[in-house]
Amino acid sequence: MARFAQKHTTAFTPSQDATYEHGYSSSTAGYSHISKPGLSQSVVSEIAEHKSEPDWMRQFRQKALVQYQHMQLPKWGADLSNIAFADIHYYLKPTDVQSKSWDDVPAEVKATFDKLGIPEAERGVLAGVKAQYDSEVVYGSLKAAYAKDGVVFLSMDEGVAQYPDLVKEYFGKLIPAGDNVFAALNSAVWSGGSFVYVPKGVHVQMPLQTYFRINSPNAGQFERTLIIVDEGAKVHYSEGCTAPSFSSGSLHSAVVEIFVKKGARCQYTTIQNWYKNVYNLVTKRAHVAEEGEMIWTDFNMGSKVTMKYPSFILAGKGARGETLSMALAGEGQHQDTGSKAIHLAPYTSSTIVSKSISKNGGRTSYRGLVSVGPKAHHSQNSVICDALLLDPESRSDTYPVDKVFASDVAVQHEATVSKIGDEQLFYLMSRGVNEEAARKMIVHGFIGDLVKKLPLEYAVEMNRLIDHEMEGSIG
Amino acid sequence: MIPVAQTITTSQEVVLTKPGKYEFSITKPGVELSISGSFRAAGSESKKVSIIIRHQAPHTIAKTKLHGVVSDKAFLSFWGKIQIDPECPDTNSFLTERILLLSPTARAEAVPELEILTDDVKCSHAASISSIPEEQLFYLMSRGLSRKKAEGLIVAGFLGVE
Repeated sequence: MARFAQKHTTAFTPSQDATYEHGYSSSTAGYSHISKPGLSQSVVSEIAEHKSEPDWMRQFRQKALVQYQHMQLPKWGADLSNIAFADIHYYLKPTDVQSKSWDDVPAEVKATFDKLGIPEAERGVLAGVKAQYDSEVVYGSLKAAYAKDGVVFLSMDEGVAQYPDLVKEYFGKLIPAGDNVFAALNSAVWSGGSFVYVPKGVHVQMPLQTYFRINSPNAGQFERTLIIVDEGAKVHYSEGCTAPSFSSGSLHSAVVEIFVKKGARCQYTTIQNWYKNVYNLVTKRAHVAEEGEMIWTDFNMGSKVTMKYPSFILAGKGARGETLSMALAGEGQHQDTGSKAIHLAPYTSSTIVSKSISKNGGRTSYRGLVSVGPKAHHSQNSVICDALLLDPESRSDTYPVDKVFASDVAVQHEATVSKIGDEQLFYLMSRGVNEEAARKMIVHGFIGDLVKKLPLEYAVEMNRLIDHEMEGSIG
Repeated sequence: MIPVAQTITTSQEVVLTKPGKYEFSITKPGVELSISGSFRAAGSESKKVSIIIRHQAPHTIAKTKLHGVVSDKAFLSFWGKIQIDPECPDTNSFLTERILLLSPTARAEAVPELEILTDDVKCSHAASISSIPEEQLFYLMSRGLSRKKAEGLIVAGFLGVE
């Protein structure tokens, strides 16, 4: 501690659970189905049976399972050796049907979402809501005005049933089952997630939101999302995640595929606040056509381990991609995040901004790829990674890769790692601000640029969460 | 290839002239290390430079600058890593990798990595891969230089690593 630091005598250190306000859970006794722990061919068939799926999807699942069983866990990145794959319930079905009104949602489930403030937000600021509880979407809505415009916002399961042709055309095309081991696992046992289609030229003014909640211990949540934004359309999709504080680990492995057509725009916001027992291993990818724009806003605060690298393939002339990534790692957490920019067409541009904060022995890693193909002349990319270390036990890594196979391009990468400077603290404290407030101020300033890009209600929530995380972090 | 490993205990300047693998470990407090290297790859050459800078003592400074120019069908790769061990406070380390592409078929790769296990550090890296900006060529050509000569001047300036 700095020698000019204000004295304080606070002895009370809240336990980890006390700092995580979404740690409650409810009984799973009322569930309509819980698969036995472990994964096998019969579990996969059981899931397909429960969903009365068409043959092509059943085959897709079985094929993916075989691929999964032949693949190895990645040898790079975070430590995944402690995931107890055999103890995980791969399918947990809380209710039989998805409800259109909160009144029809089982009381216990509704209470959870009430506590999280979902119905309230839905009335005010959201165009549509999906609420996923363990493996299934239990509630869904879409404001009538957008439904009239032809916007489709369904759970992925409904999507398969109601729009088979569209789903068949795009499902698994951007992230095939064999893409990586967790994509294969998700392809075999996926359940829930969203299916979004925005017709040509339609602007969805308010965000569509999906809320993911893990409720059971040893749960596996494998949602699958497919978003198609047709020519000239515009949509903002956001997702939030929380889980109860169990001591045993849960696994969350999602696949998100996004198709941004000519001149369209899609923003995808994630506020990930899982409890610190969840392994969050997610594959997210967007295909961007001519003049299209894809923006990933990716905020990771929770989970034990996160490995997530939202990527965009800029396949059409003049396509644009942007990733804003923020990671906060505390005790026992490893946030291995980043982004991938693949430039395939001329005049494409992309920006990746990543900010990370490590404290109490937490570890953050930025892992990224920028690849400019031979046809992507006149392309631009810039990557900025800044990391802040709050104590000597914490760790920060940066692993970027830049590959260029074309001329007339500009690729830039910059990264810095630093701590809160004593001179910065001194400056603020000499003006009468106490050390805790000064530290918070500096951290808010550090991530301020990114938080500003969030919709207002998230920005407020984000600032509050960071204050909450920073509480008592003075050593 | 066996990496050229060096333990650095006195402040010094190192100039790299050949591609290959290098490892520098700074083991004594107060040491200042500066490394520079400029590389050209032409024809169908493929050159790789890999460098690791390890800070294993407190109060050390390292500055690393790699510049490269790639023409024809050549390939140039810069792979650099700064590692700062735990309990090495007051470390400053900077890594710069810059590559200029002179032909449409030239290829390049830049990987600047950081692994930092101490908080009291100032550490940064920067990498860029680009072609010669048309404005710079235009500036020189408007003063009577041929395109080739202008390109030559810019490359010479770029490789003259300070």
